[in-house]
Amino acid sequence: MKKLILYAVVGGIAFIIGYFVNYQLFSDRAPVQPINFSHKIHAGDNQIQCQYCHIYAERSRVSGVPNVKRCMGCHQIIKTDSPEIQKVASYWDKKEPIPWVKVYNLPDHVYFPHKRHVRAGLDCKNCHGDVATMARIEKVSSLQMGWCLSCHSKKEVKNGSDCWTCHK
Amino acid sequence: MKRRDFLKFIGIGGVGAGAGFVLGKVSKPPGAKLIPYLIPPEDIVPGVATWYASACTQCGAGCGTLVRVMEGRAKKIEGNPAHPVNRGGLCAMGQSSVQALYNPDRITKPLKRKGPRGSGDYTEITWDEALKTLAENLTELKSKGNSDKLHLLTSPLSGTLDKLVREFVSAFGSTNYSHYGLFQRKNLAFANLSAMGTASVPHYDIENTKYLLSFGADFSSTWVSPVNYSNGYGKMRQGAGERGKLVQVEPRLSLTGANADEWVPAKPGTEALLALAIANTIVEKGLAKDGGAWRGVLSRYKAKDVASICDVSVERIEAIAVEFAHTRPSLAIAGDSVSSYENGIAGAIAVNILNQVAGNIGVTVIPNGDDLGGGRRVDFSKKISTLIAAANADKVKALIVYGANPVFTTPKAAKLEDALSKVPFIASFSSFMDETTAQADLILPAHTSLEDWGDDFPDPGVGAPVASIIQPAVGPVFETKSLGDIFIELAKAVGGNAAGKITAPNFAEYLKSSWKELYSRNREMAAGTLGFEDFWNKTLQNGGWWGPPRKRTATVSARASEHLTGGPARFEGEEGQYPFYLIPYAQTAYMDGRGANLPWLQELPDPMTSVVWGTWVEINPKTAEKLGLKEGDMVNVESPFGKISAPVYLYPGIRPDTVAVPIGQGHSHYGRYAKGRGANPIEILPYNEDPRSGEAALNSTRVRITRGGSGERMVKMEGSTKELGRGIVQTVSTSEFKRMKKEGV
Repeated sequence: MKKLILYAVVGGIAFIIGYFVNYQLFSDRAPVQPINFSHKIHAGDNQIQCQYCHIYAERSRVSGVPNVKRCMGCHQIIKTDSPEIQKVASYWDKKEPIPWVKVYNLPDHVYFPHKRHVRAGLDCKNCHGDVATMARIEKVSSLQMGWCLSCHSKKEVKNGSDCWTCHK
Repeated sequence: MKRRDFLKFIGIGGVGAGAGFVLGKVSKPPGAKLIPYLIPPEDIVPGVATWYASACTQCGAGCGTLVRVMEGRAKKIEGNPAHPVNRGGLCAMGQSSVQALYNPDRITKPLKRKGPRGSGDYTEITWDEALKTLAENLTELKSKGNSDKLHLLTSPLSGTLDKLVREFVSAFGSTNYSHYGLFQRKNLAFANLSAMGTASVPHYDIENTKYLLSFGADFSSTWVSPVNYSNGYGKMRQGAGERGKLVQVEPRLSLTGANADEWVPAKPGTEALLALAIANTIVEKGLAKDGGAWRGVLSRYKAKDVASICDVSVERIEAIAVEFAHTRPSLAIAGDSVSSYENGIAGAIAVNILNQVAGNIGVTVIPNGDDLGGGRRVDFSKKISTLIAAANADKVKALIVYGANPVFTTPKAAKLEDALSKVPFIASFSSFMDETTAQADLILPAHTSLEDWGDDFPDPGVGAPVASIIQPAVGPVFETKSLGDIFIELAKAVGGNAAGKITAPNFAEYLKSSWKELYSRNREMAAGTLGFEDFWNKTLQNGGWWGPPRKRTATVSARASEHLTGGPARFEGEEGQYPFYLIPYAQTAYMDGRGANLPWLQELPDPMTSVVWGTWVEINPKTAEKLGLKEGDMVNVESPFGKISAPVYLYPGIRPDTVAVPIGQGHSHYGRYAKGRGANPIEILPYNEDPRSGEAALNSTRVRITRGGSGERMVKMEGSTKELGRGIVQTVSTSEFKRMKKEGV
């Protein structure tokens, strides 16, 4: 009997360890994307401005995933021999959008406008990290409420800790 | 520790950790996808809403709307604050039009019948095949010289769409195009035609009225133009100047009645006599503004003679008459409960006479002019009985239905379904499988109003010319077609005269050229615009065009008195056997049944009873006590023509000799939310159509109430009609109040 309880305790502890190993170390901080797109090459080496591709950041709630036409605008000519670019071209030929995997995901009950943050002069880096060095995009902020609030209070945002500012 | 045990622990630990890892993996939400545009549309910024001005077509009121569209999807509808009819308001039915757009039970593709009629067994076909099949049927009719055996039955279409359909039908060689539906207010239109010369409901200026005497007009929920009237009513009660008074005459207290200062529960069917007695009292007391012409006719309706028939005391009639004549300006209106009696025209004329005598015509009653020529035409010669008789005489070879649902809204006694079974070919343009569409051989689903073009010239409007535009706020969600385009393509396919007459490439162009014509003959429209294109763009931006108010007046013609019947309305069923008057009424959310397929409207608590998702029978608590019924008991409501079952709702706001049942439920088709829910009181009504106007007399039968079996449970939001000692409403007796006043408490 005593042995059985011991088995259960050992199994239970192992279970919890397994769960957290998965949660912490195998998280989707940097999911594999359908195209092996490198921000390092685009934003880093070639110094392309964020809003050249994320065109709605200053105008809308969402920053906007670049449309396929925008990719092809350059890659009709540039590096057409790369297999990854050929993948982009094949989406374009099929007239299909590229199904990118979301890295920064906010639940529906949070209202987050890019527009306000960009217009307030906040650098993209503040939340998205130094993407210019990332070969594959990686989530660097927790997006937890405490993380939002600490910045709001540090920058003394007007009504920045009011519930209705974000939950409306 | 033994080696054996050590290995066991290792094993258990491994399995546990593995299970934990797998659980961690599967419990994580799958990575959401970010789907970009292939080519970004120029006028769409994701995350930023675009608002389109349009007009609502859920009922005939013609409110202006603003549709909030995000990424090409309509998300919310609001009233257009600039529109003169609704001034920013919008009712629940209008709000729910998004649920019509995305309804899971929409007919998404053209269908052809496979099984027997009414079986619901259809096969999907292409639009080309559907149009070809329909055109072939029509050309065959034509080649045999049977063009006039084509019948078209629609809901009251307005403006340019109506013009196009009329043009198609007449070019094809038929004269049988008719509008059909409940609550078309044809009796009111007929009464106004014979009394004031215009076949429409005038504009009632409730806003500037100080004494409103409403004969059963539930203007704050279903009557004619509820949003407009409610807005006016708000200003009448709480706007500038003295608070206006509202007196409601009706056997069953409606939402409007519940807001009134006084409720006069006259006996059903006697409202016309009451109105005339009030008018007579005004003339007799010398208070009439314009009573000379009416003295003779009215002298037959003395308050003392009428009082006992109406079940309203002489003193009360006189008090109302004096107050009505003294308070300026006053207004009397005849609503659905009056115009739905078998003598509905007499009731409406009596109210017109009352307004004339009190000098309200041209002050608070502004006759309609239809300045722009696009208003709904009321054709008294086109009745549902005409169609039934023609079908029975084999004179209907093809029937096209759109919007109207006569199988649901016509009493069983009319035997409409038998008549339809004799029609060899029925086509429906509805995008919903309603009871009539379920009888169709071919279904060509049309867009909903959020996807389609159109226009509307609100009738009764606001005493000013109003033209609203309906524009597609979203692209078609399913494979449906614009209703106008269906007719245009059909005209091309049928050929001959129809193709020669209708040459526009599509309905959008047809509409635009129709407005161009309107613009060219209207100077007010042209003022301040740089040509038609400029005007058109502004119209699309504003949701329409509206001009300055017109002051119109009329005189109630003495000849109208020929339609007065001199007695109360007749009811089917002998009083001994059928002791209760039945009042089937238009419910706020379902109207004539059209709203029952939208879940928002189903879950909207009825404003008076708070019941949701069902039908109920309103019975006075005293009557229920006599019958031994409690709230929620199932009862059978039985007329000489049939029987329905529904649970009892104890309603103190109804006469003890009357029962009321809301219209709108009891669908046998019409989608998952409507089907098999509640009961349809129209089924047990007599087939009683006014031979002059064609309006169905809904309030024209008596019923008996018997205990029914167990069955449906009534779901309602309210718990109790009693305050259960909670002290919600504090009261003191009159003597107590006097004592308190004397003592200065």
